Amino acid sequence: VNFGHDLLLNPPIRETALRGLLFGTFLLHMLFVLLTVGTAILALSYFIHAWWDNRLSELRWDKRILRMFLMHKSLAVVLGVGPLLLIQVAFTIPFFTGVTLFSPVWLLIILLLIIAFISFDSLGHKIDVHPYVHLVAGIVAMAALLAVPGFFVAVLVATENPERWLAVIQNGFGYDARLTLHWLLRYLHVIGASVVFGAVFHYLFVVHKHEGKRRELLRWLVFGLLVQVAGGIALYWSVLKPPDVAVYAYLSIGIVLTALLVWLATRPMRADQVLHYGLVVPALLLLLMVMLLTRQNFQDRGLSGVMPVAKANARAYGERLAPYEKEALERYRRRMDIVYDNGPTIYQQSCSFCHGPDGLGDGPEAGELQVPPEALAEIRTTRGYIEQIFADGVDGTAMPGFTYYDRRRRRLLITALDTRWQVLHAPPPVEHKVAKAVMDSARKTWSNTCAGCHGPDGRGTAQSAGFKPPPPDFTQYVPVPSRAFNIITRGYPGTLMSSHSYLAADLRWGLVTIVEEMRTKDGA
Amino acid sequence: MQFPYFQFPILGDPLIIMIDAVLHVFISHGVAIGVVAMILVAEALGMRRESDDWENLAEAAAKPTVIIITGIGAVTGVGIWFVTSSLVPAGIGSMLRVFFWPWFTEWVVFFLEVVVILIYYFTWKRWTGHLKKYHVALAGAYVILASASAFLITGILGFMLTSDGWPWTKDLAGAFFNPSFGPQLAWRVAISITMGGLLMIVYLVFFHSATRKFRAEAVHRYALVLSVPLPAMFLFGYWWFTTVPVGFRTHAKPSLLMWAFAENVPLFWMVHVSAAVLIVALLVAGIHKRVLATRILVVPALAVVFLFVAEFERVREFIRGPYLMPGYMYANTVLLSEKDFFDEHGMLPYAHWFNLMAPEATDRQKGAFLFAQNCGTCHSIGGKNDIRDRFRGRSRDGAYVIIGHTEEMVPWMPPFSGSDKERRLMSDFLVGLAEGRDTLFETTRYPPPAKETP
Repeated sequence: VNFGHDLLLNPPIRETALRGLLFGTFLLHMLFVLLTVGTAILALSYFIHAWWDNRLSELRWDKRILRMFLMHKSLAVVLGVGPLLLIQVAFTIPFFTGVTLFSPVWLLIILLLIIAFISFDSLGHKIDVHPYVHLVAGIVAMAALLAVPGFFVAVLVATENPERWLAVIQNGFGYDARLTLHWLLRYLHVIGASVVFGAVFHYLFVVHKHEGKRRELLRWLVFGLLVQVAGGIALYWSVLKPPDVAVYAYLSIGIVLTALLVWLATRPMRADQVLHYGLVVPALLLLLMVMLLTRQNFQDRGLSGVMPVAKANARAYGERLAPYEKEALERYRRRMDIVYDNGPTIYQQSCSFCHGPDGLGDGPEAGELQVPPEALAEIRTTRGYIEQIFADGVDGTAMPGFTYYDRRRRRLLITALDTRWQVLHAPPPVEHKVAKAVMDSARKTWSNTCAGCHGPDGRGTAQSAGFKPPPPDFTQYVPVPSRAFNIITRGYPGTLMSSHSYLAADLRWGLVTIVEEMRTKDGA
Repeated sequence: MQFPYFQFPILGDPLIIMIDAVLHVFISHGVAIGVVAMILVAEALGMRRESDDWENLAEAAAKPTVIIITGIGAVTGVGIWFVTSSLVPAGIGSMLRVFFWPWFTEWVVFFLEVVVILIYYFTWKRWTGHLKKYHVALAGAYVILASASAFLITGILGFMLTSDGWPWTKDLAGAFFNPSFGPQLAWRVAISITMGGLLMIVYLVFFHSATRKFRAEAVHRYALVLSVPLPAMFLFGYWWFTTVPVGFRTHAKPSLLMWAFAENVPLFWMVHVSAAVLIVALLVAGIHKRVLATRILVVPALAVVFLFVAEFERVREFIRGPYLMPGYMYANTVLLSEKDFFDEHGMLPYAHWFNLMAPEATDRQKGAFLFAQNCGTCHSIGGKNDIRDRFRGRSRDGAYVIIGHTEEMVPWMPPFSGSDKERRLMSDFLVGLAEGRDTLFETTRYPPPAKETP
């Protein structure tokens, strides 16, 4: 599989530095993510527990925990910006692919975070709401908050596994069973870690105050650690690539650290001592680092094939584009000099490619069109009629509506058309004079032949209004006599107006006279 | 094209970006800079005058302020990034590479901002007595840091309008300190203080419990503070407009908040002058300690200022027309140099995901994908700015012709990029859609499946 190409602008920083920074900032971010989620889980479970035991009035302990939520979540968000920036520059193709594969949930993260943050912070700072309100708000916030790491993990799992991208798409932008299991176990590993970090953090605040709480938090810690061991083993079993030596090393360190932590946590429970912070905190941080190094290892191996290809492709693609750059910049410069604030410019830019530079309907694109563009230099119409065409376009032709130009610009354009080609003037007189008898005959022909579509009065008929394009309303819009004669003679290509060359020339001139009179009588 | 294509359903990409961005501006400017500056004023007055009233006001206002800044402000800020990485990944990815260092610095500043506001919040009852002045200084530090954020982001936003010589020189300093940077920054500071002052008055007259006398005095004080940035806001807005390239300036009218303003200029002036009159009335009422009148006027005045800010942001985004990075990238993320390349060689052979997803693509799939890639940044099928409305009634050949001239015909549209055959494929697809002969149910992912059943 050819993995597309990287962005063409060079990364602004050396790759090693970029990756080092990315790891460091991600570590910081994750630390506060775990504290945020852990704090929320503890707070809600304590609330439910207290309510269950009917200790609501006495306790409200979750309030104290929730106040900390404000700090943790703020730092988690702000610290997340760093790795977000760095990963987008360091792993542009894989990361954006991961994001765009899961766009809907990625976008949902914002909404979920706002819901979770506002609910939890409001509860933490105004706890005396009714317990039901607290419970409902807490559960909604919790659900929103817990979904977020799940979505992030989904994007990261995708980012790390380019060989599965196509499968994700073929699976309707979702994971197959294998990937789903891996995703789920990774997600649970994050949640388990949150419980561990949350418990240790809040232990610090109760260590010398509440013995009962102290014991409870230790139980949370041990529970969390044991879940992590079980979940961690399952996670290793579910990985998509065989672990290498480094992964086994991380795994061993992780097991040793977890065992140490379980021992450190259960000792004070038995002997009624205080947790040894000097050992617990460094061990936890090391454990987090090992967790993230393992992730990094899978990501690096997963992307080792893609990144060089994407970069080489970008170089090759850049070289192919290079010859086009100069002209592109020239076009940009010319483009920036065009100001659409006067009729002639608007005509030149928006109309002339069809209607031609001189309004003869012979623009460079005219040949493409079955219904030829109007020769604007050869029509006589009214401002209102042009406005109508600007509003609706002409059905069945290329002529679109021009409603994106505001009223002033439309007026400027119409004025320009009038200045150049007198389109708003009365039609010039028909110089070919016709005898009265021929004129009578022409009127008969009009009634029998033309009026079927154009209507007896030249305004068209109910039926012809549905033609694509419909005939023009002659009381508002006529070709100048010479052009009208030509149209009658040759027909109007692409429309129902066929050639009437079989009529005598005098008769045709008579019809021209009728048409021109319609415009001068009612419209001028 | 290097990324799987996703389009935001119904609302379309530009509107969802705008909703998030405008909400963020309200909070990052109005609350983070503005309200905190007003809290700083209150706390400093409380300290200097040894007034519990001012101190209480500052403390009471701080709580919702911190929750909103950290809960919505920060998230919507990151949100702009989330939305753009999902909808215009190549655009945001390229911007990140040009402005990596400003963005990285912004991250550090943002981090410091949060640390300072958290310390400020959690030390309220603790840093008293001789420590109080440090507490006040923290608020000052926060306002400076939040303004530094605005400084850094304004350089980047300004570039998107006035990239100036960057397309030729690729000079970062020139790109950052671009012609619209200065006035835009000044404008942002002015609206921050304006929104902050108005929000503080809203809090004061509707939510804060205090004596009548204090409320009148505080309203008077904040109205005085407001009297500087309010006129400055209009002045700087005008100054900013003068830096907009003339080629872009004509896009100003259609970019206003309502199309009716473009159509009817007297209406525009009537509405905007009325808004100014309303604001002046509020100032007069406040300065004269009329609490009741202030109560009546302040919410409409705030709404007016919010709308003005939303309008400015919309104009700023729209006025740059066809470009995402002027001189480098069109709004549809096609590079300027790719346009001719695609015209010559076709776009589809280089559409990586398209070829993977639809190796034996039908004409309909090709047409749909070309539409998404060329037009999907602004147009949708069935949602906002529906492309079917644009092509309804057009003849097949007419659609083909129009597609080839979008850049000249509509001053803010990018050109179609692709071979002649592709232009034909896309126009056939769009005419089919507009005539209702073809339907498309999948409006978020392109290419759509080869065949769909309703």
